[in-house]
Amino acid sequence: MSIQFKLSGALYREIMRDLERPHRFAAERVGFVSGRLSSLTGSAKLILLTRYHSIPDEYYIDDPHVGARINSEAITRAMHAVYHGRSTREGIFHVHLHQHRGEPRPSPTDWREIPKMMPGFQAVGPQAAHGMILLSADHAAAWVWLPGQGEPTTSGSISVIGVPIRVFEREVLR
Amino acid sequence: MEYPKEQIEDLKRYCKKLSAVTEGGVTFLYLEGLRLPAGCQPAECDALLCPEPKDGYPSRLYFSSQIQGPYTRNWNVSNARIVERNWFAFSWRVEMANPTLSQLLIGHLNGFVKEK
Amino acid sequence: MSSDRYSRQSFLGLDSQDLISKCTIAVVGLGGGGSHVVQQLAHIRFQRYVIYDYDVVEESNLNRLVGATLSDSFAETPKLHLAKMTIFGLQREARVRGFSSKWQENPEPLRECQIVIGCVDSYKARQELEIACRRYLMHYIDIGMDVHGKDPPVIGGQVILSSPGSLCMKCMGFLTDETLAREAARYGNAGARPQVIWPNGVLASTAVGLAVDLVTNWTRSDRIYAWLVYTGNENTVRESHTLRNRQATSCPHFSNADLGDPVFREL
Repeated sequence: MSIQFKLSGALYREIMRDLERPHRFAAERVGFVSGRLSSLTGSAKLILLTRYHSIPDEYYIDDPHVGARINSEAITRAMHAVYHGRSTREGIFHVHLHQHRGEPRPSPTDWREIPKMMPGFQAVGPQAAHGMILLSADHAAAWVWLPGQGEPTTSGSISVIGVPIRVFEREVLR
Repeated sequence: MEYPKEQIEDLKRYCKKLSAVTEGGVTFLYLEGLRLPAGCQPAECDALLCPEPKDGYPSRLYFSSQIQGPYTRNWNVSNARIVERNWFAFSWRVEMANPTLSQLLIGHLNGFVKEK
Repeated sequence: MSSDRYSRQSFLGLDSQDLISKCTIAVVGLGGGGSHVVQQLAHIRFQRYVIYDYDVVEESNLNRLVGATLSDSFAETPKLHLAKMTIFGLQREARVRGFSSKWQENPEPLRECQIVIGCVDSYKARQELEIACRRYLMHYIDIGMDVHGKDPPVIGGQVILSSPGSLCMKCMGFLTDETLAREAARYGNAGARPQVIWPNGVLASTAVGLAVDLVTNWTRSDRIYAWLVYTGNENTVRESHTLRNRQATSCPHFSNADLGDPVFREL
């Protein structure tokens, strides 16, 4: 199953600008981005990212054991976005930035914590795709929970439609 | 664009399901399973009604397939891509002052049953 | 293969060849304009193509169809085949998905592209392509030429860049309800339109230049919209006066609400 992502250059810059901001105590920032599910040839899927939801500073929990921890209010806001996006099959993707160059890979903490959110998102928006997007300084990767799927599929590519066009392709399999 | 509720309800009589969809700033009414006048083949199809001026017409009705009717028509729209489907329309101008949506629809469907 | 092959275009940037080879580009219409475009894209090293044309080579095409020969007109070679031969003749590893149909009959492959170059021959066709590009996030580059008037005739043409989030062809003043209505009224009476090779060459080259800049940003101009007017009689390509006089800075015709598949709101 091939999954491609696309987002505008403006949205990509908005996300990067937000995630690069320092936080008072969190080592990194996280956010959510909405994405609409569409079809390509055969069973291939296209996810178009539409809006970014920045997480206010006060929604972070001071936990020195992880890079960032967000509170239930942040999750609730994400759930609201899923609820209001149901008619457009708009799901939600957790997004954060690893400060290095090259294809990013989820850390053990990422794999432990982020998938826990997916059943809740799927319950509220069962027709949409949800998941996580990981950015680096010059690359990106995503893992998608398609409707009805309990396990994620790694996306094949993420295209930033701006100037210059960037096509981040999966080089390393999970 | 919003239409009076009673006009929407009245329009629903002619099809199985009525929806609105917007593309490029234009709002279309999507009539799923529109019943066509007697003598048309097929007897029903999906249709898109554009009550606003479009392509030089004061309003337009698009069909999901080219319809065989009692009279030969100039199907000057073939496989037009609107809301991610392909649509067909014949040249038929409906000139009415402030029609309701149903009157507009019937005005277009008359294109099948009126010689001119 | 020698590493010198692309050395003359190294000014496009250190990673330009990598960026170019990863871009999926569509060319809709492989006639007088599209045949030029495909040839240039292949020379530059674009590797991934989605191309559409349902027509075959006829004798009347031979004055302008790049790559076509007399034999092709006798054999009624599909224009799609010509385009594929051009691409594979320069890029053996290219991935080409070609459709001998209108793009509307096979729309899904178009959505995988980052750039669509439209070489179509009506305002309606341009409008439909632009809408698809806005829905599925693709840069749209449009080219077209015409010859009108007499004593002397005037060759005109345009190259337009319409990018998601930026000015569309309606914003720029190129597509208007009046031009669409006039075209609809002329339907069936269009006749054979005058076409010659050299304006197509100018327009195709300009379009390919825009495409390469979108991929590499080698000019550092960050350009996301353009309307360039070709005046064949003067041999000039200039920014449109209409665009220059427009005040619009954002597009009211397409929004994020239009992204992706259409949303039908039951009434």
